[in-house]
Amino acid sequence: MAHLCLFSLLVLSMVLKTQALTPTHHLTTTDVARLQAVLSQPFTDLKSAYYSVVGLSKLGILVADADETCQFIKSNLDPSSVESLFYAAEASQALSGCEIPVSNDTRDLLLATVSEDSTASQIHQSVSALSSLGLPLASQEVVSALKARISKEDNVLTIILALQTASRLSQQAELGDILEEIEDLAARLDDLSGVYLQFEEGLEATALFVSAAYALSDHVDMEPPLKEDQVIQLVNSIFSKKSWDSLSEAFSVASAAESLSNNRFHVPVIVSAQGPAAISHSQPFLRLQVTDVLCQPLSSASVLVESASTSTSKSAILSQAPFTLREEVFELNFMASQPASGYYQFSVAIAGDSRFVANHVELKVKVSTRVAINNMDLSVVDKDQSIGPKTTRVEYPTKAKASFMADSHQNFAMTFQLVDETTGVELTPHQTFVRLHNQKTGQEVVFVAEPDSKNLYKFELDTTERKTEFDSISGTYALYLMMGDATLENPILWNVADVVLKFLDEETPSTIQAKTLYTPKPEIQHLFREPEKKPPTVVSNAFTALVLSPFLLLLILWFKLGANISNFTLSPCTILFHIGHAAMLGLMYVYWTHLNMFQTMKYLAIIGSLTFLAGNRMLAQKAVKRLEGK
Amino acid sequence: MSNSVISVISRFLEEYASSTPNKLKVIDAYLLYIMMTGALQFLYCLLVGTFPFNSFLSGFISCVGSFILAVCLRIQINPQNKGEFLSISPERAFADFQFAHTVLHLVVINFIG
Repeated sequence: MAHLCLFSLLVLSMVLKTQALTPTHHLTTTDVARLQAVLSQPFTDLKSAYYSVVGLSKLGILVADADETCQFIKSNLDPSSVESLFYAAEASQALSGCEIPVSNDTRDLLLATVSEDSTASQIHQSVSALSSLGLPLASQEVVSALKARISKEDNVLTIILALQTASRLSQQAELGDILEEIEDLAARLDDLSGVYLQFEEGLEATALFVSAAYALSDHVDMEPPLKEDQVIQLVNSIFSKKSWDSLSEAFSVASAAESLSNNRFHVPVIVSAQGPAAISHSQPFLRLQVTDVLCQPLSSASVLVESASTSTSKSAILSQAPFTLREEVFELNFMASQPASGYYQFSVAIAGDSRFVANHVELKVKVSTRVAINNMDLSVVDKDQSIGPKTTRVEYPTKAKASFMADSHQNFAMTFQLVDETTGVELTPHQTFVRLHNQKTGQEVVFVAEPDSKNLYKFELDTTERKTEFDSISGTYALYLMMGDATLENPILWNVADVVLKFLDEETPSTIQAKTLYTPKPEIQHLFREPEKKPPTVVSNAFTALVLSPFLLLLILWFKLGANISNFTLSPCTILFHIGHAAMLGLMYVYWTHLNMFQTMKYLAIIGSLTFLAGNRMLAQKAVKRLEGK
Repeated sequence: MSNSVISVISRFLEEYASSTPNKLKVIDAYLLYIMMTGALQFLYCLLVGTFPFNSFLSGFISCVGSFILAVCLRIQINPQNKGEFLSISPERAFADFQFAHTVLHLVVINFIG
């Protein structure tokens, strides 16, 4: 049972490790400089002075003219306002040698603000002012006031301010309930696609939450209930914005950055390659910068390559190799392990401090090399192989002296090898093209040269087979070899030779027109549907008469049989029936000529029902008569 | 052989002329008319061609339908069949004939184009 638990834990930890997040957004040195510039703007009032002075102190920068700033603070201080006292007290605390004079009234005002009726921000400001000015305060009262405030206003900013306030109280106070608020607040963060974690109230709230949570955790020396992935997601959210709308936003980002680089529990590590992560013989060192979120280098770290393997195979070229620290940059001579050119997957671990978060990084490193062309052989081979091929060897980058002739009986062939310049290993770059350029007409045809199983490149040109590409235009073509790849440092365009091609049944070269892709096409004439052949009208008329003729026969027969209408009673229903019946037949004719089915049904319903009723009556009368007659 | 056929036919015609009531003879004349009309339409189609096909079909179906309805009427009216059609009086048969013809004509006119 214990073995099973251990095994599952091991598997779980391995799975979690492979899925650990690394920061996708972080501040670069230019961003930190920009943040500093925003905070160094000349201040207009006490509030902006507070943001600037305290913000810069969080970035570790001292204000230039401390005395002038101190004077400014003292002159703008309004001792009857708690907010003003707060700004002044905090700012003067950040400056060295700046003391705000405190009177008894000030102290009483600040102490009186600590109650359940003040807002959380007022409580925060008075407690911070009292603490910065070195005045005594009753921590327990503050805690109860905060708790009452939280229960009345359950929004995010209130709780953040409560956390900030609690970090200024004495450690003996009962801060447990307030500490639990960190976990509740963390649950309210919105997870955006697994990358960002932020409050819907915005960046400022998220940044203030981070600084407040870590301030309180450090104060009570208890690890905050934030998981590593959550910390990284918070880093992504806070540092994704590189220009800040307001001074307060810049201030919140600066305090979050300071608390993330300086707290006792979690220090996110930012690893970035210096320049592109590419190595070659001229540049054999892979250089990495390992910093905290404020772009300060972590000199105490030790960086280790856990494994380096090619993207295709999983065999490790390098394992457990340390980086050496040189001038705050970690470097490793990867070319010393003589890797073949291509892409490598590096798994780097940063150790040295148990607080490091996101200290396993995956990097993709490119190793590039220079290519050399060996054994470039050009030959003209007879198709029936009666005459042996004449092979000419050409050395890069010279051009073959004589030009080659190939007509319909011959093939032109080219073979060559591509090797790595230093190691001599055969290479297969992504792009190896052979381009034939007709200097007179400007026409060019490009073919692909392909390697065989022994990595020997072959190109054959059969003039009869390929004459459509050339439009059967004979002439002198300059042959170029083009080669390129992402891992090649020296892409090649080499005019190898001139080839004279002769095609049979050639068109006159003067009528070369660009392929008529974009000229108007011939107009399509629409053919309307031909009406079908009708028989001559005479025939139709004759047959119409013929078809109607049996009617006459019918009348004659009926007359002979003695059919009559002597039983025709002139009762109204009879007349109505006959009229209705005639109307129905007339409706049929009108349907044929004018109406559609819906209209016909409508009229038919009306006429039909009348006819039916009348007919019913009529037939009933007839039936009665018949039964009477019997 | 042919003699007996001729004698059968002449016998049949005699019997027909004498024993069939007049009403039925009227209907029979009507049936003959319908049949001839249909046959002539078919002849036209064979000789001249099937254009327009829908009109030919419509006309032909009209003849066939009318023939069938008239035969039904004849059967139902025939006093010799009274035993089989106890619930259907001749008037009722005629009303059915009329209604069915209305539907037939509606369809035929729809299809004639």
